[in-house]
Amino acid sequence: MSQPITINVNGKDHAVEADPDSMLLYALRDDLKLHGPKFGCGLSQCGACTVIIDGAATRSCVTPLASVEGTRITTLEGLGTLEKPHPLQQAFIDEQAVQCGYCINGMIMTAKAFLDGNPQPTRDDIKQALNDNLCRCGTHMRIVRAVERAAKTGQAQAGQAKGG
Amino acid sequence: MNTRPEDLHDNDRHETGTLPLSRRNFLKGTAGLVVAFAIVDPTAAIAAAETAADSVGSPDSGKLYAWLAIRPDNTATLFTGKVETGTGVETALAQIAAEELEFPINRLDVVMGTTSQTVDQGPTYGSMAVRYAGPQIRHAAAAARKALLDLAAARFKLPAQQLEAKEGVVSIIGTSGKSVTFGELVAGKRLDIAIEASGSGFGLKVAPDAPVKDPSTYAVVGQPVRRKDIPGKVTGQFTYIQDVRVDGMLHGRVVRPYGVGAKLESVDETGLKDIPGFVQVVRSGNFLGVVAETEWAAIQAAEKLGSGLDPEGPQAGQAKWSDWQGLPEQDAVWDTLKKTTGTNNSVAAKGSVDLALPFAAKTIQATYKTPFQMHGSIGPSCAIADVKADSATFWAGTQMPHQMRADMAEMLGIPEDRIDVKWFEASGAYGRNGLEHVIPDAALMSKAVGRPVRVQWMRWDEHGWEPKGPPILQELTGALDKDGNVVAWRHHMWVPTTGDTRLIAVELAGLPQIGSEGTGDSAIGYAYTFDNADVACHGMGRVGLLTAWLRSPAQFETTYAMEAFIDEMAAAAGQDPLSFRLRSLDDKRAIDVLRAAAEAYGWDSRPSPAPQQDGKLAKGRGIAWVNRDDVRVATIADVMVDRDSGAISVKRVVVAHDCGLVVNPDGLSNQIEGNVIQSLSRTLHEEVTFDRAHVTSRDWEGYPILRFEEIPDTIDIVLVNNRPEYPSYGGGEPSTCPTAAVISNAVYDAIGVRLRQTPFRPDRVKAAMSRTG
Repeated sequence: MSQPITINVNGKDHAVEADPDSMLLYALRDDLKLHGPKFGCGLSQCGACTVIIDGAATRSCVTPLASVEGTRITTLEGLGTLEKPHPLQQAFIDEQAVQCGYCINGMIMTAKAFLDGNPQPTRDDIKQALNDNLCRCGTHMRIVRAVERAAKTGQAQAGQAKGG
Repeated sequence: MNTRPEDLHDNDRHETGTLPLSRRNFLKGTAGLVVAFAIVDPTAAIAAAETAADSVGSPDSGKLYAWLAIRPDNTATLFTGKVETGTGVETALAQIAAEELEFPINRLDVVMGTTSQTVDQGPTYGSMAVRYAGPQIRHAAAAARKALLDLAAARFKLPAQQLEAKEGVVSIIGTSGKSVTFGELVAGKRLDIAIEASGSGFGLKVAPDAPVKDPSTYAVVGQPVRRKDIPGKVTGQFTYIQDVRVDGMLHGRVVRPYGVGAKLESVDETGLKDIPGFVQVVRSGNFLGVVAETEWAAIQAAEKLGSGLDPEGPQAGQAKWSDWQGLPEQDAVWDTLKKTTGTNNSVAAKGSVDLALPFAAKTIQATYKTPFQMHGSIGPSCAIADVKADSATFWAGTQMPHQMRADMAEMLGIPEDRIDVKWFEASGAYGRNGLEHVIPDAALMSKAVGRPVRVQWMRWDEHGWEPKGPPILQELTGALDKDGNVVAWRHHMWVPTTGDTRLIAVELAGLPQIGSEGTGDSAIGYAYTFDNADVACHGMGRVGLLTAWLRSPAQFETTYAMEAFIDEMAAAAGQDPLSFRLRSLDDKRAIDVLRAAAEAYGWDSRPSPAPQQDGKLAKGRGIAWVNRDDVRVATIADVMVDRDSGAISVKRVVVAHDCGLVVNPDGLSNQIEGNVIQSLSRTLHEEVTFDRAHVTSRDWEGYPILRFEEIPDTIDIVLVNNRPEYPSYGGGEPSTCPTAAVISNAVYDAIGVRLRQTPFRPDRVKAAMSRTG
């Protein structure tokens, strides 16, 4: 039954009143009014609902609210903004790697967690990392290129940071 | 002209029902400067001024304000009845308008679909938005440019011929002094200027005498302008229909019958009231839904009644259904098609196949089978309805908002001009999926509870109940003379309706039917010049499951059979499959794309199959082409076939594409890549499964689609006849068509085995290999 639960999303604590067995996705979308994470299947099969919890790409459609108290949750909105997109978001813009875009939240969030752990991936690494995320428009070629571009940008920035 | 404007749009966020479209914020960055500004929404004001106080009818297509609004700050809005479905038409249509209006595209916004704000330009389907709405918008924008020049002429007291419009500013030709912006000329008024308009929908003619530009001077059309929607989509700032929230809104879920035609016998509501936030069950005939304060509560309630991934039987949930078992056997569906009566349409009847056959040196026959397939949108269908006694508002992602307004007027008995369908983009639909059907679902629930209700289908509702692309049976006979010339060609297809527009909720509730069943379409783009040819379509109504149009309706399948069978003929004649086709074609644009693809690929002339290859992996190449509504596409692919597992991997794809003048080459490339990958998925993986009661492929495990590890290494695209003297035909779907034939032909080239039934799953490849020996 409903009870107050505090979740930390994009660096801020939010109090929500919900069934602790209900899934995180609905709190993010219906209570916090976020648009990034999407309902796709509710079965952890497509990846549209992906968020990052304590560094790990996680399917919020099957993550009970009770299990995320005390964790740090990042959504697509927490990466960057329209004015200042995250390098991954900018790479998707630069590659025009969107058709309908419904799956793109999952692509970017999965790629973010992946690149954080593997900043110099091969193309095959990227394909493998995204293999459980479904895209129906067939934007795959561009999505792979966008993640490659973001990885290169990240390496260039890391190189600059080292050099400076 | 800067062809890569860095505009960032914040799509409208309808967070409340009381302040729809009250503000439109957008951010614009130019020359390193980011300027944020808000403008008073033009659309609400225009709609209000345009129509009677209680009417939300569409604007008059014979007024300029129906198409364009220009504000004092020199920003503008294009209004179009077309909608964005992920294909980039928003940007393409904006390019066409900006070009003719002589207006900077990064200051031009687009309002799409909403019935109270846009003219009905026909549904957004069939790869026809740019082709048909493009000229309508082009002429309206040209008429607006002329009107603005006339206004400037009056202001400057000079003949309009001495003025020129550029980048939203009118100046005097040959001088650098006096100028005036469009915004200053319009001075905050709406463009209440009459233009000629006749006809409707696709046939609407707008301002036919407007002074449109010479296409050879185009500066915006033809450029890879960045899509307007992408920045919002990658930052979570975009509002999809699934994101819309309305004040006072409740959440609904449908509970569909266990069997497609089952009757609802009883509903046991025990325990529903214990779910916090549960509101009520909505029942009307066999239509069943639940409404709750929260999405989670609606899901819990629907589950109790029997909604779920794997329902155990018609009586297993608290809603009890009759034991309906009326679907055909899945494996017998093609026999069922052949036995079902319907219409007969001749596509080509030339000479006499029957008279030619006895004299042939070689005759071959083949049967091609393709299954029910689904649109498979990643986001399930969603709509909000707010139905009142004498008016209704819908928020919907349909590809045909104006038609849905008419359908809902009929269903609810409310005049059309008291119904507004507010359109928001949905997850890509690729045809008629559940987005139309979820509207009456929401309407019935809202009407029952007297509040706005948002209905989103669950994954199993979408997979189980979205209208499917129909299964098709095709039988072909071909005959060769001793020199390898085709002397007879017969191609017959049996296809259920691709256009059943009857609404699920209306059928379930037993209301007077809206829409029609439609008939299977002859989608064979036959273009060969054989002396004796008999090409025909046997079309029928609904067979088993509800069917409607799915990307390149039926022509994906007919191109498969036609272009794989011509390959069979070429192989039987021992000839190179490209030369064999070219010898029997006189369609110059077809020949052009075939040659362009072959050149880009590096095609060397030889018959299939390729010389014997040893080892586990065999490489092959395949070619096919299509004429899809005046667009010509030729595709070539390399595949690798694993003889042990039967797995096919696609390595390289080359597409030569002629859709005439291309509005946005990068947008077109995005579409072609998408068509190739989606059709590869349909070729290799996709088949709807069903038992006698219902669809059993109710999630992504039951209905797998192509994944990242299976994508080709490269998709190379060659644009053919992308020149100003050609019209823009539209590239949303033609490049879907050749794929299954290309892969079938490439597999034959690799291992000498012909695949005549999609999908080409490894087990089916192995079975075909063992049959061939």
